[in-house]
Amino acid sequence: MSPELVVALVKIGLLIFGLMTGAAYLVLLERWIAAWVQDRKGPNRVGIPLSRIRLFGLGQPLADGLKFIFKEEYTPRHVDRLLFTLAPLSILVAALAAFAVIPFGSVLPASATPEGMRGPIELVVAPGVDVGLLYVFALSSVAVYGVILGGWASNNKYSFLGALRSSAQLVAYELPLGAALVAVVLATGSLRLDQIIAQQAASGVWNVLVQPLGFVVFVTASFAESARLPFDLPECEQELVGGYHTEYSGVRLLMFLVAEFLHMVMAAVLIVVLYLGGWHFWGLTGSTNEVGWGTALVRVLVLGGKTLMVIVFLFMLARWSWPRFRFDQLMALAWKVMLPLGLTNLVAVAAVVEWGGIRAGKPSLAAVLVLWGIGATGWLAAGWAAPSAADNRPRLEPS
Amino acid sequence: MPQVIVDGQTVELEDHERLNGIEVARRVGVEIPHYCWHPGLSVVASCRMCLVETGTRHPQTGEIQILPKLVPACQTPARDGTVFITNSEKVKHSRALVEEALLWNHPVDCPICDKAGECQLQDYYFEHGQPQRRADIRPFTSRRRDVGPTVTLFVDRCVMCSRCVRFCREVAGTSELMVVQRGSHEEIDVFPGYPLANKLAGNVVDLCPVGALGDKDFLYRQRVWFLRRHEGVCAGCATGCSLWIEENQQRIWRLKPRTNPHVNKWWICDDGRYSYHHVHREDRLLGVRRRVPEGSKLVEWNAAVEAIPAELAGAQRLAGVFSPHLTVEEAWLLATLLRRQNPQAKLFLGPVPRSGQDEKFPGGFTIRAEKCPNRLGVEAVLWHFMGCLCTWEELLEELATAAGNGTSAYDAVLVAGGYIQPWMDEGAAARFAHVPLLVVQDLFPSPLAEAATWLLPAAAFAERDGSYVNAQYRLQSFCWAVRPPVGVWSQGQLYWRMLGRSGLFDARAALREAARDVSALSAAIGDIPPLGIDLRTNLLAAT
Amino acid sequence: MKPNDPDIYWVEPPRLGLAEKLYLPLVVDGMRTTLRHLVSPKVTVSFPEERPRIDNPLIYRGVHRLNRDEQGRVKCVACFLCATACPAHCIDIVGAESPWPDREKYPESFTIDELRCIFCGMCEEACPVDAIELTSLFDLTGRSREEMIFDKEKLLSIYDMTKDAEPMRTAAQEAER
Repeated sequence: MSPELVVALVKIGLLIFGLMTGAAYLVLLERWIAAWVQDRKGPNRVGIPLSRIRLFGLGQPLADGLKFIFKEEYTPRHVDRLLFTLAPLSILVAALAAFAVIPFGSVLPASATPEGMRGPIELVVAPGVDVGLLYVFALSSVAVYGVILGGWASNNKYSFLGALRSSAQLVAYELPLGAALVAVVLATGSLRLDQIIAQQAASGVWNVLVQPLGFVVFVTASFAESARLPFDLPECEQELVGGYHTEYSGVRLLMFLVAEFLHMVMAAVLIVVLYLGGWHFWGLTGSTNEVGWGTALVRVLVLGGKTLMVIVFLFMLARWSWPRFRFDQLMALAWKVMLPLGLTNLVAVAAVVEWGGIRAGKPSLAAVLVLWGIGATGWLAAGWAAPSAADNRPRLEPS
Repeated sequence: MPQVIVDGQTVELEDHERLNGIEVARRVGVEIPHYCWHPGLSVVASCRMCLVETGTRHPQTGEIQILPKLVPACQTPARDGTVFITNSEKVKHSRALVEEALLWNHPVDCPICDKAGECQLQDYYFEHGQPQRRADIRPFTSRRRDVGPTVTLFVDRCVMCSRCVRFCREVAGTSELMVVQRGSHEEIDVFPGYPLANKLAGNVVDLCPVGALGDKDFLYRQRVWFLRRHEGVCAGCATGCSLWIEENQQRIWRLKPRTNPHVNKWWICDDGRYSYHHVHREDRLLGVRRRVPEGSKLVEWNAAVEAIPAELAGAQRLAGVFSPHLTVEEAWLLATLLRRQNPQAKLFLGPVPRSGQDEKFPGGFTIRAEKCPNRLGVEAVLWHFMGCLCTWEELLEELATAAGNGTSAYDAVLVAGGYIQPWMDEGAAARFAHVPLLVVQDLFPSPLAEAATWLLPAAAFAERDGSYVNAQYRLQSFCWAVRPPVGVWSQGQLYWRMLGRSGLFDARAALREAARDVSALSAAIGDIPPLGIDLRTNLLAAT
Repeated sequence: MKPNDPDIYWVEPPRLGLAEKLYLPLVVDGMRTTLRHLVSPKVTVSFPEERPRIDNPLIYRGVHRLNRDEQGRVKCVACFLCATACPAHCIDIVGAESPWPDREKYPESFTIDELRCIFCGMCEEACPVDAIELTSLFDLTGRSREEMIFDKEKLLSIYDMTKDAEPMRTAAQEAER
């Protein structure tokens, strides 16, 4: 067995174990935060089984998982059996596979490199993929299939409505997402995620400081892509009894829920990597690939910490802060606001790059000021015109 | 044609009609409140609740003259040109004051009063009374006095309408109840040693507009608003009184007379009033039993419906006994069934229970000696099939003669009983000893039931749909009020299914069929009104 | 339903100023509310360890009790008004003539199916003699359905149990006067 394979397998094992455990505890965290925001205490009883030790409820994820596994795996008689099973599988596989090119640190020290391997071990499952970003977005688009298949195979009107909403929403928001992304790629000159981080680290200027408008568009679009409140129309319980996974139970429901959670984690990691400097933090992590063990570990922790912060402060608190959008508002926001803003940002960044405002990832002060100005102007213009505030109520007949 | 004006509405009367103000007002939907007046009793105009303004219209000029004082509507005859005003302020004020006076000494113990919910005092106070009680006296006692074996009197609840006193004098003719003392000390009472013990005593409870007279049989058992009432017909005697069967949760709690001018007017006798107890007796027969060598075994109804007609069809000589407790429909279905299984089947009328003589009361009410509801109806059906009437005595005679030879006169006998009182003694039952196939249907165990090859339970009168023909040739239809106990099918349902018909027994359809074929019942082919139809000419012509 | 259906009442949306159109103040406002609640005191009562505080046990709607009069007899007069008022039909009374000279009617049996009861308090409202009252006992448990059907004796024993902590409503009102 070649050392590359061993290293890859170890990394895959670490990543999947980390993701699954992380997702389970993020669910617990989300339940806690939900409870606290509602002035409740949240799950705090489940500790070590068969004992009175409670550990603040840290045993809850285990109990949740066991409950899902031991629940009746019910398949309604009216469903398309093949697609019904395929849908959660496809969505989960796609969600996990997308993490292959996501770095969870930078590199290990050269001393850790085993015999017969070139270069340092990079902390990413598939290092050196030149089209990393394309790969991520290709796979995250597959998630739409899972949702649509689930809704279609369930043969239930709520599921179907959820799936329809989902497909429209995901397709609509992929455009502003892409527009924001292309601007980052333009500024960096590479599709590789490690390259994007490395440039931000080298210049010490995170992309969020350079492209504020792109950041806003990307965050909004990634909320919609991961179907989180206030954009959770595909599965809003109040309207659709759970949307596309209404008919699911047991392990297959668990797959859907985990996949959804992974989408959120993925969105958070991308926000960190693309805009918030990845593993870089000023004065703490350095910026080159010449690292010792300490720095390598700090970089992993910084990346994880930033991701956690984004998840908690953006995704979880946002859920309880703002009401859900109506579907027409959601669509208007995508097509009338976010897409023009994303394109504005793209054109602005392209112009700045063309006239030399950004050299090798390092922006000049003038470029930053111009981009901030364009961002503020764009936001103001969107607010002024308020294209999404159109009155879509049915017209009264003139009587 | 006399014309009467009530609150501005004109009522046209027939020339022969003699009505008072309350009855005329009812014609146009105006209810004049009253306590003491009752259509079946004499008029005393003592309660003053029905006071109205009256006057006359001059026949030529049309000018209306109103009397200055209020007069009781119950005592004011309606003539041509009489004018009644029932909704003026004067009348309303008078009613409120009457209500106030009645409630002065009334112990407002409605929570424990059985009349609450159907009490005229409650209803009228709600509708006509004053919103507030002005008197600050609370002498509320609730003295209770037994006035008879079935009736108890709550002295202080009485409003002195004297309906009960007049009833005892005029209808029952026994005059047990009387008014003692004078003025505000007036009370209803009986003379010592002469309790209210006539056979119509229960009616005073129905007559009482308030809760003063209580029926011991019903006392404290149920609140009246829980009861549901169903139209029924009494099975106690050949009079066939119209009844309200009042039931809650599949249990009959009381029977009340249903006004029927052709049969029972407003009354029923105590025998009929308390006759419902047999419906809930513990020793009712339940479940179909087939005799086997080691005793008897329970059979499913559906199996019995298949097996019994098959066994009857195998009999060369078949006899059926029709009790006069059967309804017309049941008798018709059963006779059809027996004749289909065996065209030579001989149909007998079962024993007709009698006790004593007909009892007639001054008010025109009669308790018949014949203690069964439908002898005439069953006879009409039997006449149609047999062309003659074979009696129970003839059957016993035939059986005894054959038994003398050590054989049986019939291969199979079906006895459709349903008797309320014990009707079969050991001697009569012994005559059936040689009958190879004896099918008995009855309500309660009897010597004959013990001898039966097939023993079928029967449903009681309140559990069946059907029609009775009473002693005055009046056919009255009724529907079930309570379900038969678990394990009992009604006779109609059983015969219906034995005839191979699907679904539920439809009494209306069965009666229509019977009316089409049996000339004596031909008048019953249409709808039967709640008061029944008269079959006198039909029946007399046919038999 | 047509848009010009007279039964539809169209509400005009509030007019937004520029600040609202920019979303920013709303975003901040929502987040501020959320963050405030995130750290505010929690209202959850950790039940078995902590007992909830019942402010006024006299108006709490817990398990029923049947009150006794001064002589220790059941106060109920079997008027069935509670059974009539009960929307869940959980009260079953058998009335009878009372064995006492000063009372006319009393409940021979009085059963409440606590499983069927919805604790609405209508029986208490309906009672003309304040015989049935709801106590503040709320943690009612049992291991079988039969156990949860309370008969007269049990309901009276609840009165004996709670009469000191929760005086009869009439008594309490008189004391207030």
